[in-house]
Amino acid sequence: MIAIEHLSLRFHRGTPDERVALDDLSFGIAEREFLVVIGTNGAGKTTLLNAVAGSIVPERGRIMVDGVDIVPMPVHRRARFVARVFQDPMVGTAPALTIEENLAFASRRGVGRKFKLALTAQARSAFRDLLVPFELGLENRLQAAAGTLSGGQRQVLALVMATIQQPKILLLDEHTAALDPRTADIVMQATTRLVAEHRLTTLMVTHNMRHALDCGSRLLMMNAGRIKLDLAGVEKSKLTAPELVRRFGEEDEQILLPGEV
Amino acid sequence: MQILLGFWNLVPITLVQGLIYSFVALGVMIPFRIVNIPDITAEGAFPLGGSVAAILLVQGIHPLIATALAVAAGFCAGAATALFHLKFRIHSLLAGVLVVTMLWSINLRIMGKPNVATFGLNDIFTWISDAIAQNLTLQILFFGVLLAVVLLLLWWMLHTEVGLALRGIGANAQLAPALGVNYLRYAVAGLGLANAITAFAGALSAQLQGYGDVSMGFGLLVNGLASVILGEAIIGRRTITAQLLAPVIGCLVYYQLTSLALSLGLAPSDLKLVTGLFVLGTIGWTLAGRGRARALAT
Repeated sequence: MIAIEHLSLRFHRGTPDERVALDDLSFGIAEREFLVVIGTNGAGKTTLLNAVAGSIVPERGRIMVDGVDIVPMPVHRRARFVARVFQDPMVGTAPALTIEENLAFASRRGVGRKFKLALTAQARSAFRDLLVPFELGLENRLQAAAGTLSGGQRQVLALVMATIQQPKILLLDEHTAALDPRTADIVMQATTRLVAEHRLTTLMVTHNMRHALDCGSRLLMMNAGRIKLDLAGVEKSKLTAPELVRRFGEEDEQILLPGEV
Repeated sequence: MQILLGFWNLVPITLVQGLIYSFVALGVMIPFRIVNIPDITAEGAFPLGGSVAAILLVQGIHPLIATALAVAAGFCAGAATALFHLKFRIHSLLAGVLVVTMLWSINLRIMGKPNVATFGLNDIFTWISDAIAQNLTLQILFFGVLLAVVLLLLWWMLHTEVGLALRGIGANAQLAPALGVNYLRYAVAGLGLANAITAFAGALSAQLQGYGDVSMGFGLLVNGLASVILGEAIIGRRTITAQLLAPVIGCLVYYQLTSLALSLGLAPSDLKLVTGLFVLGTIGWTLAGRGRARALAT
């Protein structure tokens, strides 16, 4: 159970550029909920994700994970609870390390590291099994540097890395935005697969309308640091693209990019 | 012919020199290539190791303990550079310059004077065998074995979970914290380790030449860089094995090349200029060749 409580943050505080990013934001995320967050640029969705990840510290408010406030924790300490896939495929993996080294590296998130060989035959075969279902051939390239992979392959690897140790919450930061539409769909399929398989609590920020409609169990629409729309269950599944655009577009027509080009 | 014979006669002693400085080249490579924080602390860590070892030997401390404390001092120097860099948010090269400058005074304080002789004292070589001090073949064997042990330990360490995290902060500084790695702690340990190795070379060097000297590290950093560049040009850096062997091979070749150049009539005083031009030339050539900075330049 995750609880966002009275989260507030203003950028450029005390200057003429002052802007509200998060405005006394409060909501809960239930166990195994797949929350999709959409909104205009500047609505606060990425700030919200960064606040949970720890790369931004809010001015006020708490982020409770199983009753513990993670706001005071530096990024490396909340890694025990939080896993993240970045928008930039370059950031989610370590390009100079091989695929298997990346997986071994990620597999120690939240459990600590020892002076013990990171790669064993057992670990390698486990990594292979993890990669096979994605049908990208990554399982046969374990010794290839991650830097040699395409953007889509890297995002899939980053997803596997983020979920190799079960997080309390998985953060997806527009993780298909830098990919071409076809690759974005492949990565999104991999995402729903992994989330379902590991029964993960997930917070996904996206600009992709189709992904927002098709994926997830709950939809949050943000505006000016607040929640404008919160749909779950049947309401969410009945939502159609025109309806979403209508409810969304009351203020801005350019909020969502269409899923296909 | 005469010239080449002169060079040939110097090969063994140059080999000993190259083996000792291989530790320095390793200590230079680790911050640049593994941790990805450019660091020049080696220039001060080397005489620090020599100073600490020399003064402790004079005070009758066991050579093993003296050498171990010299290594520990080197670790502290590297750790200090990393802390200044990350805590005070100053560039790592400037942090290194500050530490090297302060180490000059510290080394003088440690020894109480610019140099301390250790002739006739019980040093690490006499402790192992009196024969080593006189015999170049034994010296080559000694340093060769020592280097192999250090390389094996480093190879093993870099393949452990901890070592993977150390390479992780160098490979992707943004990802590592998200995977639970305390960047500060690993950076401090990485630069500490590198300069501990350099100080180890300083301690051995002082004991071999029979004195510790405050100016004994001068120019070593650029020699180390040249060695790393040369070694990577020869065997590349695609794997950890190659990355670890490159500074060693580069260093051995580098000192033979300088020996050859000196035999051919290069004035010793011009050596640093030539080495500097070599480093610049290689970086410039790499830039021209690949269109972007992949060399040690940052």
